[in-house]
Amino acid sequence: MKRSALDLGVGLFVLIGLLALGWMSVKLGRVDLLGNKGYVVSADFPTVGGLKAGSTIEIAGVEVGRVDRITLHDYQARVVMVIQPQVKLQEDSIASIKTKGLIGERYVRISPGGSEKLIPPNGRIREVEPPVDIEELLSKYIFGKV
Amino acid sequence: MNWLRANAMVLAMAGLVAMTAAPATAGVATDQLRGAVDRVLKTLEDPLLKGEAKVPDRRAAVRKIANEIFDFGEIAKRSLARHWQPLSETQRNEFVGLFADLLERSYISKIETYGGEKIQYTAERTDGDYATVSTKIITKNGTEVPVDYRMVKRGERWLVYDVSIEGVSLVSNYRTQFNKIIQTSSYSELVSKLRSKQDELLAEDKGQKKKL
Repeated sequence: MKRSALDLGVGLFVLIGLLALGWMSVKLGRVDLLGNKGYVVSADFPTVGGLKAGSTIEIAGVEVGRVDRITLHDYQARVVMVIQPQVKLQEDSIASIKTKGLIGERYVRISPGGSEKLIPPNGRIREVEPPVDIEELLSKYIFGKV
Repeated sequence: MNWLRANAMVLAMAGLVAMTAAPATAGVATDQLRGAVDRVLKTLEDPLLKGEAKVPDRRAAVRKIANEIFDFGEIAKRSLARHWQPLSETQRNEFVGLFADLLERSYISKIETYGGEKIQYTAERTDGDYATVSTKIITKNGTEVPVDYRMVKRGERWLVYDVSIEGVSLVSNYRTQFNKIIQTSSYSELVSKLRSKQDELLAEDKGQKKKL
């Protein structure tokens, strides 16, 4: 009797451990179990430099959506994003690809505009800023070109 | 039978005209921009306007051309973003004037250092009434500076509403700064900041004139 109580205890402990591990993986891996809810907008960038599907989209530092996929469209990178349904984007919003810190991961920052017109679902953010490569800029302006 | 042939002729002519017209319309934004830029460069190289004493005349001439190709109202509106909407007509006009002064103050001295750099018009992407004209400034030591102009079509004219240098947008830059000032202080604080900077500059200019 004692034996099976111990086994039960150990089994329960392992189960809890596995659940905790699963929970951590979901949280850290940013896997959305319920799927991305929201509306789709896209933006065309001349380059995306390391931005990838799953990267966050922020307004004022708050996450408002995720990058769903990045495809090539007319030799530009079309970033397809899913934005939370309650977040409205004005027509003159600017989408910039920024880096967390100086050399961290890439994310999309949206700067809200002032237009009365909003970007509809499946619409496009017209104004974009590609990522700035600090090292390339430094070397260009310090050393000049050959 | 005759009118059928005539119609076919008209259609064929229309087709020909459309084919020759198409390449002409692609690049209209570039053409208008290039025209304005060339006029500015000519003004800067005009021997009649050279020298310290001619600074106000030169700047007035450049400002006149700038007003024809830049939509300062649109640039100001986009830079204020959501803070534009609650302003009255008078406040908006006031802001556009102050902002245009700020831009002139910030960039005219850099433009005046123009020394024969080459400007290449590399591409134009049109999307309805919006276009991006991509250019490159080739500096004396060979550095290529990419400058993109975002333009909007108003009637027959294409006007610039944003300039991106090395991918960094002018509107985005001022939008962030204006928003910060308005949120931490107020809109009137921003206006008085812009005004006092302009007054400072005018006082400086007067001081320099006295020296001359």
